[in-house]
Amino acid sequence: MLTASAWATPPTRTELIESLVSGVDRYNPSNVGILEDYLYHQIRSEEYDCLANLAILKLYQFNPDLYNPDVVINILIKALTALPFPDFNLCISLLDERPPNANPDEPDPLPTLLPILSSLHNLLQSCRFPAFWTLYRSDKAESLRDNYTVECVGFEDAVRNVVVHAVKAAFQRIGGERLGSYLNLSGDDLTAYVAKLGWSVNDATGVVTVPPNPDNQIESTVVQENIQLPQLVKVIAHAQVATVQV
Amino acid sequence: MTQQRKALWESDLDEDLHDVDLNLAIGSYGQNGLYDDAQPRIDEATLIAVQQQVAQQAALAQVPDPVKRFIVHFHQAVLDNNLPEITVAYESGWNRLTEKFYAKTEWPEAEIIAPLVNDDQIFLILYRELYYRHVYSRLQPDIDDRFHSYENSCELFNYLLNSDGPVPLELPEQWLWDIIDEFIYQFQNFCVWRSKVKSKTEEELILLADASQIWSSYSVLNVLYSLIQKSKINEYIIAQQEGKSQEEIADIVGEYGPKPLYRMLGYFSIIGLLRVHSLLGDFTLALKVMENVELNQKSPFTRVTACHVTTYYYVGFCYIMLRRYPDAIRTFVSILNFILRMRQYHTRSYQYDQINKTADRMYALFAICNALSPSRVDDNISSTVKERYGEQFAKMSRGEEGIPAFEELFLYACPKFMSANPPPYEDPDLLQAYIDDPPVEPAQRHLALFLADVRAQAPVPTLRSFLKLYTSLDAKKLSNFLDADEEEMVQQLMVMKQASRSISRVEHEKGFLRGQMISTSDLDFVIDENMVNIAESTVGRRYAGWFIRNTEHAQRVYDTLHNSPLPIPPKPATQAKTDTQAPAAPPKTGQKVAWGSVKTAA
Repeated sequence: MLTASAWATPPTRTELIESLVSGVDRYNPSNVGILEDYLYHQIRSEEYDCLANLAILKLYQFNPDLYNPDVVINILIKALTALPFPDFNLCISLLDERPPNANPDEPDPLPTLLPILSSLHNLLQSCRFPAFWTLYRSDKAESLRDNYTVECVGFEDAVRNVVVHAVKAAFQRIGGERLGSYLNLSGDDLTAYVAKLGWSVNDATGVVTVPPNPDNQIESTVVQENIQLPQLVKVIAHAQVATVQV
Repeated sequence: MTQQRKALWESDLDEDLHDVDLNLAIGSYGQNGLYDDAQPRIDEATLIAVQQQVAQQAALAQVPDPVKRFIVHFHQAVLDNNLPEITVAYESGWNRLTEKFYAKTEWPEAEIIAPLVNDDQIFLILYRELYYRHVYSRLQPDIDDRFHSYENSCELFNYLLNSDGPVPLELPEQWLWDIIDEFIYQFQNFCVWRSKVKSKTEEELILLADASQIWSSYSVLNVLYSLIQKSKINEYIIAQQEGKSQEEIADIVGEYGPKPLYRMLGYFSIIGLLRVHSLLGDFTLALKVMENVELNQKSPFTRVTACHVTTYYYVGFCYIMLRRYPDAIRTFVSILNFILRMRQYHTRSYQYDQINKTADRMYALFAICNALSPSRVDDNISSTVKERYGEQFAKMSRGEEGIPAFEELFLYACPKFMSANPPPYEDPDLLQAYIDDPPVEPAQRHLALFLADVRAQAPVPTLRSFLKLYTSLDAKKLSNFLDADEEEMVQQLMVMKQASRSISRVEHEKGFLRGQMISTSDLDFVIDENMVNIAESTVGRRYAGWFIRNTEHAQRVYDTLHNSPLPIPPKPATQAKTDTQAPAAPPKTGQKVAWGSVKTAA
């Protein structure tokens, strides 16, 4: 994502959702169903609309009765892979402290999953990609994987996109093994993934070449000052007035 | 009718009414307004009317004469829609009399002064607006003040929004801003007060259990959105930006929009939303509601300085929470320079202190941003930051060990965050659970999130200081220098790369959420397999800025000299004479003599 407009207004957003996100109707609790359906649509079709999801959390904030932990967890999973942008924290900001769970028959999964999601977010944010995968594949994250991310189509590839974003900016060439540990891929899977990205591999060394892009081309420059006429207007105008006075 | 009921109740009391809370009295009496038959009621009513007059006169008698005269005069100015007179009464009269008579006590209750203003309900609502604002700012509001100030705000907005068409009232812009500003302040103040369960008395607990609608988030948002919609302020701003003619704009903004009162309230409500959403932690929505507003210092909406400063503070803060540090820096630099320039005009304004405090918090936020996204910045601002927060800034620029400094400045400079919902006052069991295990305070929650991001980029300053020394360097060697694991160090380099990129608003782009990816650092690098190549951008010496500043300065000096009055001739002339007559004058005055004599010659 190079521009913020696609983030603020994704092209996949429908008119109905747009009217909820931008209008006063976003505060109407009876619209929460529409927005929740839209979230599950995003989960199924690899779309993402941060502002619409924030609108759900806003409704939960004002109407604690509406609170649905599954929806919150899915929103956080989507926001996780929006890194390096701060969506995850923006969502967390809206989660006011919940009152103690009133219904012991239906335990709220969020309190146990939130620390894991936060740790995953932290690892991904710190570009500690191998550690991310280790935690994600661990027993600790089992319930997250089995109950949630498995439903989120393309979740692992979305994480890999975060990795690719970081690698593309920092590397011109990167060792195949290192890249594999970031992407949690090896062998043919890695080869296929790199080929899909359009990156080339040196067969002898396994070193992957990242195509040039604005972030991995560096150049030393000397910025020279550049004075524009408007900056001098005050001086010139004043000089003229002074001349007239004399 | 209400007059009679009030009177009936008062007949049981002795006449010394001036220290009784009439508001409360009316409230509790209103619930048992049953009458047996009409005849005794009328008789009693007549009697009571007299008694009430006496009681009120007694209370009124306590009010100092200058205050009475002021209220009568103030009321007349409001009746006449005489803006200059209202402004004088509002900005100086009220504050002067507060200092003199009410520095430590409430102003007289609205009911007591009602006879002075012919019981003009609209004026009494405005009066109470000032009355409660004084209570909040000078005294400690109790629960009744909090409830009644809310009710009074509702009455005021109800009058403005639900009268038959636009109301014929005119108020100074400053007051209109203060109405919205105070409304949100009292809301925020109430929410914070409400969240502290432990310190509540039994009576307060009972009242709060029953008062979930008072100062609710929905009711506050409802007021702000209604004012925005009624005034069609967004449509007005867009039409102006599109360069529509006055007639076209008049068509667009409808019945309310052309009235300055509604237009300004509409605009101030947008800023109010920016603030409320920020206080509730919704930084995206806060900026989204601003999407039609253009921040520049030429707009007529900037005439109210307090509003202007508030706007930039919250926009800048939201940008920090969106991790868009360059945008935050630009926002702060722009307004802090504005404040520096305005300073000379504002020293006597009663808002000067408030503006200065906000400015100081923005310097702190600026220091935070600049530590996280180092860039070459405005000289004026960065020298003030060094002066005020130099120590913290030095710590923050050193990564992990600077975390306490980030924490200190963030807590000092952040908005007064609040929870959207009250503690469960209506359920004693849940309330006890709430007391036993109180939730984390909102400011601490936002601080924790912010610090998590700061920690993620904590290794950057150290890496940066090493990379600055080289043009290329092997990753292994670098990790040896840092005494770090090579793989971890390479991952930190990726963090550093990401920290040097940010979304930033490109000039003239509409909407505060828009922006493009830009590079924010003068130090860039790229990793070629395992070799780190480094490139640094430098800025050549800047001469022109220095010359322009000093030329302008020289001009000011010249102008001052040019415009100052010539010395009055007779005086030096006399002096010259006396001096020449007394040749034994001390040599010190020799210069004066010479100068004086030149003047006499001319």
